[in-house]
Amino acid sequence: MRNNGWLRRMPKRLWAVLAALLLFTFLSNDFGLVDLQKTAIVLAAGIDRSEEGFSVTAQIAVPKGSDRTTGGTSSVELTGTGGTVADCFSAIYAQTGWLPKLVFCDLLLLGEDAARAGAFGALDYFLRDEYAPDSCTLAVCEGSASALLRTASAVDDASSLALETLFSDAAKKAGRIRTTTLREFCITSYGASACGYMPYVRITDPGRQSADGAAGGGNAGGKGGKQADAAKEAVFDASQTALFSHGKMTGLATAQETFAMSLVYDRVYGGSLAAGGATLTVLKNDGGVSFPRDPAPAVQFSVKLSLALADRSAPAPPTSLAAGTVPPETVDAAKAEVTAHLAALWARCVQADCDLFLFRRTLFRHDRALYAQWKDRPLEDLPAYFTIEAESLR
Amino acid sequence: MKLSARQLCFFLAAVAPAGKLVLLPSQLAAKAGNDLLFPLAAHIVFEAALVFLVLLLARRERTVYAMIADMVGGAAAKAACILLAAFLLWASFVPLIEQKLLVQTLFYDTLPSYVAFAPFFLLAGYLCAKPLASMGRLWDILAPLFCVGLTGVLLFACGSADLGALAPVGGSGAAGFWRGLFGASSWFFDAALLLPLLGHFPYQKGLALRGALCYLAGGGAVVLFCALYFGVFQELAVSQPFAFSQMSKYFSGVAAMGRVDYIFIFSIAFVMLFYTAMPVQAAVDVVAEAFARPRALAPALSAACNAAAFAALLAFNFVPSETIALISVRLFWIFPAFSAGMLLVLYAAWAAGRRRRHAQ
Amino acid sequence: MEYVSKDLTKTREALRALLPAQDILCTALTDGAGRQACCFFADAVTDKDLLGEQVLRPLLAYRGAAEGALLTAALPVPEVRVANALSVLAEEVLAGNPVLLLEGMAEGVIAGTKKVPARAVAEPPTDVATKGPREGFTEDVKTNTALVRKRLKTGELEIEFLTVGKRSRTAVAVCSLKGISAAGVKERIVQTLSAVSIDTVPDASFLARLLSDRKHALLKQLGTTEKPDIFCAKLAEGRVGVLTDGSPVALTAPYLVVEDLQSAEDYFVPAARATFTRLLRLFALLFAVYLPAFYVASQLYKLQLLPVKLALTIAGSIRDLPLSPSMEMLLVLLLLEILNEASIRMPKYVGMALSVVGALVLGETAVSAGFVSTPAIIIVALSGIGLYTVPNLIEQTSVLRLVMLLAAGSIGTYGILLLTALSLMRLLSAESFGVPVAAPFAPFVRQDLKDALLKSDLYALGMRPRCIGSPNKRRMK
Repeated sequence: MRNNGWLRRMPKRLWAVLAALLLFTFLSNDFGLVDLQKTAIVLAAGIDRSEEGFSVTAQIAVPKGSDRTTGGTSSVELTGTGGTVADCFSAIYAQTGWLPKLVFCDLLLLGEDAARAGAFGALDYFLRDEYAPDSCTLAVCEGSASALLRTASAVDDASSLALETLFSDAAKKAGRIRTTTLREFCITSYGASACGYMPYVRITDPGRQSADGAAGGGNAGGKGGKQADAAKEAVFDASQTALFSHGKMTGLATAQETFAMSLVYDRVYGGSLAAGGATLTVLKNDGGVSFPRDPAPAVQFSVKLSLALADRSAPAPPTSLAAGTVPPETVDAAKAEVTAHLAALWARCVQADCDLFLFRRTLFRHDRALYAQWKDRPLEDLPAYFTIEAESLR
Repeated sequence: MKLSARQLCFFLAAVAPAGKLVLLPSQLAAKAGNDLLFPLAAHIVFEAALVFLVLLLARRERTVYAMIADMVGGAAAKAACILLAAFLLWASFVPLIEQKLLVQTLFYDTLPSYVAFAPFFLLAGYLCAKPLASMGRLWDILAPLFCVGLTGVLLFACGSADLGALAPVGGSGAAGFWRGLFGASSWFFDAALLLPLLGHFPYQKGLALRGALCYLAGGGAVVLFCALYFGVFQELAVSQPFAFSQMSKYFSGVAAMGRVDYIFIFSIAFVMLFYTAMPVQAAVDVVAEAFARPRALAPALSAACNAAAFAALLAFNFVPSETIALISVRLFWIFPAFSAGMLLVLYAAWAAGRRRRHAQ
Repeated sequence: MEYVSKDLTKTREALRALLPAQDILCTALTDGAGRQACCFFADAVTDKDLLGEQVLRPLLAYRGAAEGALLTAALPVPEVRVANALSVLAEEVLAGNPVLLLEGMAEGVIAGTKKVPARAVAEPPTDVATKGPREGFTEDVKTNTALVRKRLKTGELEIEFLTVGKRSRTAVAVCSLKGISAAGVKERIVQTLSAVSIDTVPDASFLARLLSDRKHALLKQLGTTEKPDIFCAKLAEGRVGVLTDGSPVALTAPYLVVEDLQSAEDYFVPAARATFTRLLRLFALLFAVYLPAFYVASQLYKLQLLPVKLALTIAGSIRDLPLSPSMEMLLVLLLLEILNEASIRMPKYVGMALSVVGALVLGETAVSAGFVSTPAIIIVALSGIGLYTVPNLIEQTSVLRLVMLLAAGSIGTYGILLLTALSLMRLLSAESFGVPVAAPFAPFVRQDLKDALLKSDLYALGMRPRCIGSPNKRRMK
């Protein structure tokens, strides 16, 4: 073999070059990236329709500094407008020099107008952006999303974090709220059923809403912090559910209908149900929806409930206090109540053309011929049956 | 340094599958829809058969070059080896593009400079200067790492997967199956990757069958992965190109503790680093060996091949979809044709060698 | 080469010429037969009581023939021999063994009465055990071989003495167990050390370098221990040991990386506890090496590595800092290294002051002044503590930690991954005397996993580690 001295010496030289290169890139500290100090950590984005197209309000976390004697999270809301959501974010960046980082964006709040005009116009950006998480919660709000995000909350300094608390597992377990993520919404909306739902957020006492909720417009107007002096702290409610068909908000399910939906789909524990002059606690439920196809397609709701008595308006003897058993007539009233709520929910879905229970998707997966027939047929042609069973805690 | 049969099996079962978790699932979902598992399974079975045949060739314990040289002489064998190297370099392109896109998404929060990916070639240059057969110990480490990573991702993802989305079976029809089959071809060249290893491991009885079964086991894991992937993303599956890095984030624990799933994702990405460099490494190996000066030639070849790969990647930087379409759609046939063709040549060489020995 | 002549004056002058130093004394005396005699000895390293009682007193009474063999028989010294080369006699005098020369005798008599000042056997500060033996090696090779012999009372224990160093003439003892030590290792060590031409060998670490295949490798290729019980256990596993005069550190070969994650105590506590502590050490080591790097990478390139609340806390604490996150971490890390270095070198009476300066002034005040952030201090402190859970690898891991930080600051998590890949490749290709240092993981040796990171019960450890290559496989029935 030839004497390859230069080849043998190469590794040492290569290591030296590598070390120099590493040190250079380390010291230059710039790979076209933006570090934490120049970043705006977006906690939530509120999207409204505007004259230009869209108006996006980003709720940005403001670090509290090393003195962390107080809890909560400070935030600032910045608004940008433009033809698309991307334009709005660019406007925010251009005006503040803070690059909006969406990796921690856990809430996308759509203003009612934006939701009714079509959610995907607002959501398209988040589906395309590789750095925006599709695990974020979606919600629609009454009025303007920007105003809601700017509202001071009684629960947390940042309204988005207050909403996050509202959307927590505890509320879902009680059956009061049904949440959805961007991924889940897109899957059902792009699927054969072309439907979806989002929790509908509103401020329970409008009088408590901050005075100038819609301020901060313009191309990229900033409005630091909440208007704490002017506004009392608000409490949010998300017990209603917005129904979507083909990406557009077409209906609004009431709190009772939302609860009925939870009884069908979720494991509810501790949810309360008012029936027969008493308040009952749902200790256990087993719900489901099926689509029998013989002799003709129909929708069959079935719910089984285990109930305990939580409260009653009429006085009761002390002996019944410890037992918590529900009288048979109250059980029957509860069954009737749930049936009524479910029927109302189904009627609402029919009215909104929202295939919330994924009838068409089920046909698509299991009976393509039937699916072809029902693909464009209105849901009102589908008879609905309800089987509600309830028993008292013994 | 010689490989052991165990190390080879580790590679087939738990390193080779790492290259199939990035763009392949979304590519399959785009071509075959909810029937994505069928073309995938077909590829795995076909490739396992090729792996079986390649490992059967190992019984002679001769290198590819030596086998072909026995039949047609040194010059033609050198040409054949260069052809094999060219194929491996061609095959390396999809993993390299995958690696580049993955780096941008997985390791950064904002779009980095396109040279952020460049340091990979320093590692690849170092790796490629080493013979493929010296990777055995590495596979001993990578195999369990991959198993842990994949198990973690699958466990985290299974809760959010709706396997009902795979119905209706056969919904995409034969056309979907063939589209998926052709579209996924460029991800299956593992049998060809084994060719440069021939002659570098002792053949044990039953190794060919064991190797094929290991490949099937690894393939089974990929099938399970793709099933869960489609179950998680359903209609969105076509737009989720970095499957393994996205699936696990919906796990409820992630919301509470932060992205703990990154431990598993980085484990898989780590294994993928080595798999990505492997085709170039195999190309360098086969040429260096054909010219019988592996020690002297390998570093220079490694530098040249990696520089060329880097340059090509920069050139195609703004047309990744076009490039992938060219390799995996328009020229998809190169992969099965070359893998099978090369094997035919080698078996012919083997038969010729046997005839000559019998004649003597 | 000059030899002892029968002419005492001539021999004395020749030997004096070889030993001109003033601490080499020469005592002239007359034996019982009236012949002239002299005794050369080194002042500081000879036991003069023994010399007087067991060498000079018998010589004064000696009336026998002027022959080395007869004279040695007359001396009640247990270690006595004759030599006629002046260079050998000079070497012995320098080593502390007095040399007797007698008129008419063509040989010198060497009496083994050296008395080298040596430290008492004590517990080594770097390898403290709460359970198990507490003895540690000293700087005296004889004491060390005695400690080994005390534990291995078998004829199979072979100790081969070598002298290494042209000027230091350092005694080196190569220990092995016949029929148990891996084949060829002892021969290779002896061959390499015999061929070495070096001025002085102040410490065993010099020999470790000389015995390494890769001269510039960061990773060590020989194991080290300061405890005779560990040394003997390693010999019993099939390794070969090297004891060096002047160093309390014993070397063992072949070396496996996993050895450094083990401690002697692991064998004296229940297996489950030992397994837990080994895994804890590994975790702490990885934590120490990677934590500063991931911290910087997360701030610069991948915020998602942190939970949102933690990201906000960090964002709050680094606000208004004059340094970039990577430079900040580098600064704090270098500060730790400086403090570490200073605390080792500083006289003990200022050590307390240094702790106060380090902890309060540099830490607390730097944070208050806004030079560095609190999380950075915490990260470096955690990393510093983690590193010391495996003290035998501290040289390697501290360098690796720094390089990881540079990679993380340059290209983020991807840099960490690439550097880990490169380090892994280097680790896996490293061998110690033909044994891969990453065994039993790579190559994978299932049998040896019983006492690698996991520790099985004593009854499950009937076989010697396969990867060492001992010809005698079984150690317990």
